[in-house]
Amino acid sequence: MHSLDRFLEHSSRSLARRTSRRSLLATLGQLLTGAALLPLLPVDRGSRAQASGAKPGADGPENCEYWKYCAIDGFLCSCCGGTSTSCPPGTAPSPITWIGTCHNPGDGRDYILSYNDCCGKTSCGNCPCVRNEREKPMYRPSRNNDLNWCMANADSNYHCSVSVILGVAEK
Amino acid sequence: MRAPSFLSAAAVCLALGARALAAPPPLPAEHLTLQPLPPRSAHWVYVFDEAFNNEIDQRVLLFDGDSYRRLGQIDAGFFPAVNLSPDGSTTVVATTYFARGSRGARTDVVEFTDNSTLAVTHEIVLPPKRAETSPSLFAIAYSADARFLYAAYVTPAASFGVLDPARGTVLGEIDTAGCALVIPSGPNRVSSLCESGRLLTVTLGGDGHEVSRAMSEPFFSADEDPVFVQGIPTTNGYAFLSFLGEVHEIDFSGAQPKFAAPWSLVSPAEKGLWRPGAIQVGAIHRGLGRLYVPMHKGGEGTHKDGGSEIWVFDLASHQRLARWPVQAEGLSRVVAVQVSQDGAPILFAATEHADLAVLDARTGHVRHVEKQLGQTPWMLLNPW
Repeated sequence: MHSLDRFLEHSSRSLARRTSRRSLLATLGQLLTGAALLPLLPVDRGSRAQASGAKPGADGPENCEYWKYCAIDGFLCSCCGGTSTSCPPGTAPSPITWIGTCHNPGDGRDYILSYNDCCGKTSCGNCPCVRNEREKPMYRPSRNNDLNWCMANADSNYHCSVSVILGVAEK
Repeated sequence: MRAPSFLSAAAVCLALGARALAAPPPLPAEHLTLQPLPPRSAHWVYVFDEAFNNEIDQRVLLFDGDSYRRLGQIDAGFFPAVNLSPDGSTTVVATTYFARGSRGARTDVVEFTDNSTLAVTHEIVLPPKRAETSPSLFAIAYSADARFLYAAYVTPAASFGVLDPARGTVLGEIDTAGCALVIPSGPNRVSSLCESGRLLTVTLGGDGHEVSRAMSEPFFSADEDPVFVQGIPTTNGYAFLSFLGEVHEIDFSGAQPKFAAPWSLVSPAEKGLWRPGAIQVGAIHRGLGRLYVPMHKGGEGTHKDGGSEIWVFDLASHQRLARWPVQAEGLSRVVAVQVSQDGAPILFAATEHADLAVLDARTGHVRHVEKQLGQTPWMLLNPW
């Protein structure tokens, strides 16, 4: 386990245990807003370029083998009108997530990924993708991809999943 | 030249007339009826279809392992939890509906289906915090005497609801911070699997409220070798398999769980190479003392990959009795298994291509493959 992994898991779990759902959402919302403001990493820029124009390939965000999807479970939002980091129009991102650690072969680094669900419409049904690297059962919820992470949304139906880089996992 | 054509026409008329004379009488009028279920059979199986491509429309399909016929359906809504009452007479479905079909206000509800008619008899509305997760026997579960029904909650903070199924009421909610799911034992105990590798056991009073709680010593490591949450019923409790193939048998018959020494499905040479993997990762014939596990070759992260083989173990000796290479027999990987508990047992194996195979549980002989039984049949339940 890497230290950032540990920190994120500990934070998520502690929040889940100690706080109400409302304050949990507020805190995690701030965390994810912060994540969105992180400087774009080289590989993330690459994914955006592919999502916006390049044809899908084996290493692209419309392919289940894409490195960022190493612990995803569901439908790829890249195939549903969104991208690997954005929810499709008319849906709502889940403010609570599970976390993965994936290796980017492009730069040889491990990254911490937040897997958010996009919610409020029924299953996208396109590009199903289930990968379970370092995934844990639901007694460790921060690492579990079986739960419906739309659970705390006003409209809690599940549509698709995205994968958002939070930072580099420290060795 | 009109005479030949006139003769031809006359011949055709005669032929048609003769055919009309020989025609059978018309079919009688039919009467619309409601098909009753046949008497319950040990070879029935309740197939939980997770309907992965449209998850607001999941269902339970009742299938007969002798006639190979689909007997009926129980609707199950969105990310349901499904289980049977201890006497097998009732299917309980805890599910979620949205006010506008796919959107709108969320209502969580427990629905009770009479298994002799497949009709819903009554329901209990839950607080909107039901655990919406992959199929498990421990998301909704009855006490041994059916006095209580337990519903796992996740918000993501974990707790569970205690329900009175006879009166149709919610009796209360019990916090299980750091521990998840509801493993029932006896008339009034509920255990949960904890991230720390321990079991939390809560004992209830007659009113369904908490009387006491106790935490076991750790019996697994969530970091090194987690256990699957899909426990397998044994004669006195449940067996939990770990990702690497350790078998943890837990006796739940006493006031607190007792842990047998773990044993392994794999030899030292096979460890880390062959491993269990599935959504429903094992089945036990309690009379024969046999454990059936879908096994595959794979590394870390393949714990939900289905089995290319089914391995059969003797629970008393821990010896492997057989390896059934189901993939070599044309089946896709096995993602769920169940075995009937009678003296002529059937092993049911659901595959990643949504087929349901019916095997002789003594020999592994594949008797039948029902193609495309639902979309994603991920859990199989026996009628008793």
